[in-house]
Amino acid sequence: MTTSARIKGFILIGILPALLIYLFFVVVPIFWSAYYGFFDWKGIGAAKFIGFDNYAEVVRDPIFWKGFKNNMLIVAASVFGQVPIAMILALLLTRSNLFQKMIRASVFMPMVLSSVVVGIIWSYIYHPQIGILNFLLDSVGLEHLKKAWLSEPSISMYMIMIPIIWNYIGPYMIIFIAALQNIPSEINDAAQIDGVGSTRKLFQITLPMIWDTIKVVVVLCISGSLKAFDLIYVMTGGGPAHTTEVLASYMYNSTFNVYRFGYGSAISTSIIILSLILILGSQYLMKRDYR
Amino acid sequence: MQMEQKLPFSPGRGWAKISRGLINIGLSLYAIVTLYPLFWLFTSAFKTNEEFDSRPFYLPEVWHWDNLSRAWKVSAMGTSLINSTIVTIASLALTLLLGALAAYVLARFQFRLKAFLMGLFLLGMLIPIHSTLVPLFIMLKKVSLLDTYWALILPYTAFELPLAIFVTAAFLTVIPKEIEEAALIDGTGYWGIFFRMMLPLSLPALSTVAILGFLRFWNDFAFALIFISKPALKTVPLSLSVFATGYSTDYKLTMAAMTIAVIPTIVAFLMFQEQIMKGMTAGAVKG
Amino acid sequence: MKKTWLTALLTAGLAVSLVGCGAGEKSNSPKESGASATNASGEKVKLSIWHNYTGDDLRAQTMRATLEQFQKDNPNIQLDIQGIPPDGYRARLKTVAAANEMPDLFVMWPGVMTKEFHGGDLLQPINELIDSKPEWKEGFLPNSFNDFTIDGNTYAVPMALSPTSILYYNKKLFADQNVQPPKTWDDLMNVVDTFNKAKITPIALGNKAAWLAQSSILSSLGDRVTGTEWFLKAVAGDGAKFTDPEFVQALAYLKQLAEAKAFQDGFNSIDNTQMEQMFAQGKAAMMIDGGWALTNLAANASPEALADMGATVLPSVPNGKGSPNSLSGVVGTGLGLSKNVEGARKEAAFKLIYTMASPEVQKKTLEGNQLVSYKVDLDKSKVSPIFAEVYSLLGTVTTTPVYDGRLSSAVADVMNNGLQELLMGGSPEAIAKKIQDAHDKELAMTK
Repeated sequence: MTTSARIKGFILIGILPALLIYLFFVVVPIFWSAYYGFFDWKGIGAAKFIGFDNYAEVVRDPIFWKGFKNNMLIVAASVFGQVPIAMILALLLTRSNLFQKMIRASVFMPMVLSSVVVGIIWSYIYHPQIGILNFLLDSVGLEHLKKAWLSEPSISMYMIMIPIIWNYIGPYMIIFIAALQNIPSEINDAAQIDGVGSTRKLFQITLPMIWDTIKVVVVLCISGSLKAFDLIYVMTGGGPAHTTEVLASYMYNSTFNVYRFGYGSAISTSIIILSLILILGSQYLMKRDYR
Repeated sequence: MQMEQKLPFSPGRGWAKISRGLINIGLSLYAIVTLYPLFWLFTSAFKTNEEFDSRPFYLPEVWHWDNLSRAWKVSAMGTSLINSTIVTIASLALTLLLGALAAYVLARFQFRLKAFLMGLFLLGMLIPIHSTLVPLFIMLKKVSLLDTYWALILPYTAFELPLAIFVTAAFLTVIPKEIEEAALIDGTGYWGIFFRMMLPLSLPALSTVAILGFLRFWNDFAFALIFISKPALKTVPLSLSVFATGYSTDYKLTMAAMTIAVIPTIVAFLMFQEQIMKGMTAGAVKG
Repeated sequence: MKKTWLTALLTAGLAVSLVGCGAGEKSNSPKESGASATNASGEKVKLSIWHNYTGDDLRAQTMRATLEQFQKDNPNIQLDIQGIPPDGYRARLKTVAAANEMPDLFVMWPGVMTKEFHGGDLLQPINELIDSKPEWKEGFLPNSFNDFTIDGNTYAVPMALSPTSILYYNKKLFADQNVQPPKTWDDLMNVVDTFNKAKITPIALGNKAAWLAQSSILSSLGDRVTGTEWFLKAVAGDGAKFTDPEFVQALAYLKQLAEAKAFQDGFNSIDNTQMEQMFAQGKAAMMIDGGWALTNLAANASPEALADMGATVLPSVPNGKGSPNSLSGVVGTGLGLSKNVEGARKEAAFKLIYTMASPEVQKKTLEGNQLVSYKVDLDKSKVSPIFAEVYSLLGTVTTTPVYDGRLSSAVADVMNNGLQELLMGGSPEAIAKKIQDAHDKELAMTK
């Protein structure tokens, strides 16, 4: 057997199992769902083929774009909030002593809890009557700032973003820590010997070394933000009156509460397309290669 | 080994101490804020429903231990824990093995279709899973997998693979080519390199993937609700959701059930975290 | 009604979704039961049944116990019982329906859901069963079968009753302020004013799930203003529209309540469990809620609090066309029977349907503080005082339709969101128009 045949064989065997499972359980359903988008179907009875009508409706649907705007807010908050915070925490938490272990574990803890618990507790923090936030404002003499945090349309979306950011910092921090651990120690040693300053080292050595990971995290961040659903669903259900609606919650409601299966599918296909555009765009912006 | 890394922002020794101290205080505060919900969950599990709502932020007046046993019994938590454990471990094993292998190939080899395949896997991270339920249900029915553990294991694995591949591949691209070439010259085959070098090297990444995967599998409600119908195969999230009727929610039992369910996740997290921190050693790289 | 956020998500995993599971049907159930099934004396009959009685409340316990007892009493019938988390229940049922994998028997809602399943040709009528037991049939309250009946065929019998619009009030707080439960709209506005001055929330409202303002307040308030006939015409798209002045007026009344600060701050972000707690703890003088509150209150409020509660109907409105002595309500869920069940299995299914709605079970249900659509003498010592009061109230009033029991899910969704907007200061005319637009679209589709 020639070397190149061996390589080819290995590539094939290496990638095929993952690819097959993935194609069957993920890719096929996506296209299937996109196909449902061409039908007017309530889930029961006959489906009626209506061409691009659902998709055209999506494009004209103000609630869809409201959801998109809210999603963009979350994307911005995640990329510019979560990623830097996670990075700073990761840089501060690369040691293995007990203190650091405990801090790392606690930063990650909201992830371990189910969204329901996190959602409920934040609902109580924001609770208009017995919430801790209003209580604190009261006790420091700022009564006039007290609000019904989750039901005032002008602020509710921002109030929801806080727990979202806070909740998902953990995994990104973990990924960064793992990446930092992966930097060969020789490189750090070399920097040490050369007397490179900390800040310079951060920007000229550390960040470039984990640039690929940062890219991955940004992709995860964007895709995660576009799928944001759980916490919002628990805290407001997208309301009041769609003010905190995001794409995923709108898709969910259209499909499972209003029973427009076809329209829900069209929304979800649109979400995928929009996400792809965003992610490709972000990758393009981050293309610079440090190495 | 640990990097002997100085704080990135600390110029001198004296400063370093002070700033380290301040930073530690800040970190501790942050940790308290993030740990609070857990504490809140544990205390809420012992309250009455009336108390849960009238004094949400206080300790229970009377600790109602029977909430735990009641929740355990009504939600059939015992069976669910066993099922969730089986499904989660099997899905994790598959995800890690297939994911690492695919990541190795995608990160270290050049071939046509490579970019296409990466893109294809990327797509998988963008899918709102609810939209795939009807098609998946029908497909699983056709291949007679509904109502078996496989009805969860395979979709879980498939949906977690993109993330596994992305995170792991990003890791492996950084490893210097020379190490691999040296091994090839020594006569180690690709499988040998994969199992003896790449797998250990990517342990931090794989542990990360494992944590995220664990949480996803352990907490998934949508797939479990739809693809499993035998009561004997139900997983934990289904048990957690039996206390809300649509008209009212039995918060105390919900919290009690969640308290029971969260313990395995905390243990698993602490285990994997340890792996992330000690997985990568210079020794392995130099190996 | 009845979509709550909570369960959907319980767990990081998110909410449900659709597809139902394949369960149930013949293909799956036998395997599981296979071990114990014997062919000793004739074939064992296998039946799958889906229910949503999974919780720890008395009703759920009663229903589960009934099923277990049935299984014991009928060794030749093999039940495949599946308790499905209530919030996932409808979604799952809808999905199995989409894939044509219905269980043999399943908990089914009256009105829209029955119609949709009937339209999908998934059900079979149970007239035969009902007619074979005339005494039982007579035992149900008048009109109990209406919402399960299409073209003269009845598809289920109700196992409960859900008045949706009861005005609960706190007798002690009313006495403290020296006011009476409101009989007219002006009374109500005065009472609201009085409580506001006393710094007590007049009416607790938990409208996060958005259906509450519609099912519990507007369904009844609207009927007071427009009369039932108008609503039925509007639903049929025949001679009445939601943009008509009377409906806009009903919305205006609701808005007036919000503007008079009748509800506590942030009512759109708390759920109805929290609302009920708020009322039970004496933090609000009134709440407008359904009969389901009784079960929850009995389980979670103190005996003293329960003793202080009173119940009445919503006040009358000036020049209203509807009867002031009515409240909106629907019968509760019943067991639907899949079209595929035949022969011996059908007989067994009939037996189970009867058992689950038999006089004995109805009585037990009632004693669990859950209203039923069946004539039962209530032993008041077994229930909470407020339950007894509502029970007698129901004997004196007529029932009007609940909006989301008649409107399609899509229109109800627009209405629910519209009401949230209205309560935040939205314009009644604009919201009425949105509702009518959605309804027009729906009408156009069915034609």
